[in-house]
Amino acid sequence: MELLYILCIPLLAALGLLWPGRRISAQGITLISSLCVLILSIETALRTISAKEIIAVPGFISCDSFGALILLLVAVVGFAAAIFSWGYIDKIGETRKGIMVRPYYALFNLFMVSMLAVPLFSQVALVWIAVELTTLLSVFLVSFASTPEALEAAWKYVVLTCMGAAIALLGILMLYWGMSAVSQGPFTWEGLTMASSKMSPSILNTAFFFILIGFGAKVGLVPLHTWLPDAHSQAPSPICALLSGVETTVVLYAIMRLFPLFHGTSAANMGMWLVIFGLLSTGVAAFLLIQAKDYKRMFAFSTVEHMGIILVAVGIGSYGAHFGAMLQIVGHGLAKAICFFAAGITLLTTDNRDIGSIRGLIRTSPVCGFFLMVGALGIAGAPPFAVFLSELSIFKAGLASGQYLVTGLLAVFIVIAFVGVLFQVNHMVFGKPAPTLKTTIPGTCMAALVIVVLPVILLGVYIPGPVYDLLRLAAYSLGR
Amino acid sequence: MFDTTMITTSLVKLNALAGGLFLLTAFALVATRQVLACLRIYIGQSVLLAFSAVFLGALHGSVHLFLVAGITLAIKSILIPRLLRRTVGQDIYARREISQILNVPASLLIAVAIAFAAYAAATPLLAVSADPNESINLPIGMAGLFLGAYTICVRREAIPQLIGILAMENGAFFAGVSIAPGLPLIAELAAAFDVLIIALVMGLLTRKIQEAMGTTAVGEMTSLREE
Amino acid sequence: MIDRIVFNVIQVIVVMAFAPLVKGVLARLKENVQSKRGPSVFQPYRDIRKLFHKDEVVSMESSWIFRFTPYIVFVTPIFVALLIPVLTGYPLFFAFMGDMLGGGFILALGGFFATLAAIDTGNPYGPMGASRTRMVGFLAEPVFMIVFFTVSFVAGSTIPYIVQKYWVTPLANFFEPSHVLLMLSFLMLIIAETGRIPVDNPSGHFELAMIDESKGLEYSGRGAALMKWGGSMKFFILCCIFLNVLVAPWGLAQTLRLWDVLLSIPLILFKIFLFLLVLVVIESSLAKLRLFRITEFLGAAFATAVAAMITKLLMM
Repeated sequence: MELLYILCIPLLAALGLLWPGRRISAQGITLISSLCVLILSIETALRTISAKEIIAVPGFISCDSFGALILLLVAVVGFAAAIFSWGYIDKIGETRKGIMVRPYYALFNLFMVSMLAVPLFSQVALVWIAVELTTLLSVFLVSFASTPEALEAAWKYVVLTCMGAAIALLGILMLYWGMSAVSQGPFTWEGLTMASSKMSPSILNTAFFFILIGFGAKVGLVPLHTWLPDAHSQAPSPICALLSGVETTVVLYAIMRLFPLFHGTSAANMGMWLVIFGLLSTGVAAFLLIQAKDYKRMFAFSTVEHMGIILVAVGIGSYGAHFGAMLQIVGHGLAKAICFFAAGITLLTTDNRDIGSIRGLIRTSPVCGFFLMVGALGIAGAPPFAVFLSELSIFKAGLASGQYLVTGLLAVFIVIAFVGVLFQVNHMVFGKPAPTLKTTIPGTCMAALVIVVLPVILLGVYIPGPVYDLLRLAAYSLGR
Repeated sequence: MFDTTMITTSLVKLNALAGGLFLLTAFALVATRQVLACLRIYIGQSVLLAFSAVFLGALHGSVHLFLVAGITLAIKSILIPRLLRRTVGQDIYARREISQILNVPASLLIAVAIAFAAYAAATPLLAVSADPNESINLPIGMAGLFLGAYTICVRREAIPQLIGILAMENGAFFAGVSIAPGLPLIAELAAAFDVLIIALVMGLLTRKIQEAMGTTAVGEMTSLREE
Repeated sequence: MIDRIVFNVIQVIVVMAFAPLVKGVLARLKENVQSKRGPSVFQPYRDIRKLFHKDEVVSMESSWIFRFTPYIVFVTPIFVALLIPVLTGYPLFFAFMGDMLGGGFILALGGFFATLAAIDTGNPYGPMGASRTRMVGFLAEPVFMIVFFTVSFVAGSTIPYIVQKYWVTPLANFFEPSHVLLMLSFLMLIIAETGRIPVDNPSGHFELAMIDESKGLEYSGRGAALMKWGGSMKFFILCCIFLNVLVAPWGLAQTLRLWDVLLSIPLILFKIFLFLLVLVVIESSLAKLRLFRITEFLGAAFATAVAAMITKLLMM
């Protein structure tokens, strides 16, 4: 039942905000709705640890532990983004014309609904629709600034992702075809897994490739990643955090759900393809990251890199690698939120997107400098952050399962990205200070930053019991 | 005179005719220069999709497919063009696209090669099925999908790219009508509304681009790039 | 056996006799559609007769090609008329002398000599038109090939009589997608090969814009008459191939009786008349394409033919 509430509350909030007239505090409504969603998601996650799966509408809406993990991530980052938006949007509304607050929050809530819907829908065709909606409802958020660059980014975003979604649609229809030939069960993830051993392998493989390429365009896998740096850098910063940290993860969840469909040798083959795609993404992103000139683009490339790492971890195939992938998902989502929030306040104080011209932030605006450094360390994978732990477990699992080449390449790419990110952020944070705007950073922004920093450090040091159980169950659901 | 085998074979042949003309419209989308002609070809393609659904529904005796055909006609042939006309200004439709990335005959040759690639990709999949309709709809739907993607890559104007995406969805549905006829109705309805929202969002975005930049030549917008 | 030879000869006489009539009817219909009166339908006969009475003027710079070409252009359609079904539905005496590909090559032979002759005289407009004709010709070749291959693939043979039996005789086959697409493609091909709008303006007088008309520019007297007559016979032949093999092979004589064969003459003329109506509608509603758009037009014809082939392969 709470699953339906999770979907309906932000939807009602959005509809209420779209209703013209009436002086309501848009920020307040959004905050309350995301807080309710957060509480309900925590409760759902705790219940899926004990019960196997929560079913709201059989065959359509249900949630198991893997879904609950993603749901929790979406809720947490959404809550933090709502808090951050409060101060941020007001601040940029003061300086720039054409910023409309209420439509922003209405779109924000609709976007949240679509992202929450993906782990909650179990009917695969509805998952596709939810994934499409995450794109469509965020297009106007990406183009929110209405500058020519933002519009160009929004157009590339919508065209490339809808193209990918259409390819994935054919893949899903083929899955239905394969399944309906062998079983009469409902077209849900479970139904697919149970029927997968009897399905014709050619249909299964082709459908998997179509879905991988199609949804891969949305996740940002190379070579279909060209929209990602543009869209994820032109959007307002809280939306960037949601897009980078959560939306790509949510679509990756949909791809990962296909992995248990393969058994035996075909699983090893599919694992190999996932590893190849993942390594390609990680490598290309690591090299592109080094020469990024805009710090938000740099963080966007880092998203592509992490998506590649998670895909490699899934492809390696052992339980340890899957656990590492789950922890990486959580760590990346939160750390990317820190990065983009920090980038947002940096943009507020310096009004400059260029890495080369920003120096000495630690002197001129210590808050910006500090959080930027924390974010960079967190996303690059330094201890004591969660990403370090997850990458270490992936390496261990890779070495344990004997895939030395893969682990070696992965390590090289991660080191390159590490050096790249820290080099750029170092340049911005230390050195002789350049003059900045003297704007005060809104208190809500700092509160949001603290909210996301704490779990990342916590998970890097000690994983609390329920969270560990959730991660473990999610890793098991990937089938190994 | 009207025995069932004759009706069956003629329905199969009519469905194949709809498929052949669908493939032709997919080629035509690559080759047309006028923006308004692209929209009209899309309407024709959606009507052919609806016809195919009707023929297959009559063949399998499923009311479900008739509903799908009705939804397709209503939304794709009527609502979406009207929506696109409303949200995007009238003058955009009077445009002709003078140049694409490749010239038209070369594009047509590549389109032919793509259609063959779709046929080659679909043939091993069809080895398991015995239904003659699937062997028509699946390759042609796949070819429609790939040709729509190719249209997006070579076009420079916004509306033809938009119609390319809608054509890709048409291709996927054309294949789906025969390989997944039993998909729950709610999924079909939601997918149809989803296409409507795609058209709405992209139409509004095109209008914003037109207002902000005075042109909808989105292929020329390359300011966001690493130097 | 004697019957078949006789019917073959009758077939050739029909082609020779009625080809100018078809051209005359087409010209008149075009004018009628534009609410004008138009020339008499027998005007081409009068033109040919007049030209036979006139003197020929031949340039001193030209070679034997110039003098021989009118005969070649006149004779090649006659050879093709021996091979295709015009009046009868069963193969005649010379029917196995060549198949559709052979017929296509023979027609191309005529075109080849016409092109050479246009270059032969040294008139600057001749080579211009000749090069354009060749461009249209070589772009149309792949379409011809694909159409013939697809059609032969179904019937298992390239002889037009055999093809026509398999292709259209069960009525349901008429609506096969490959059939419809091939009809469209071949229609575009006829428009290109015979130089009608939208590829070329047959009634234009502007030499800089001529494509197909330029081959007859330099001729006078008997040469001009033969070129005109040969051109209209080529049009008649292409119509016959289109109608009798691809579209509507009904109304052809099925028995060996002379009376049936004679009865099928008005039927074939009626079918051609219906086709002329379609052609007139197309010609009156489209504008002539710019020269380099003709490649797009023929590319579209090619894509249509390939689509036909793909759907045929899919339905196998």
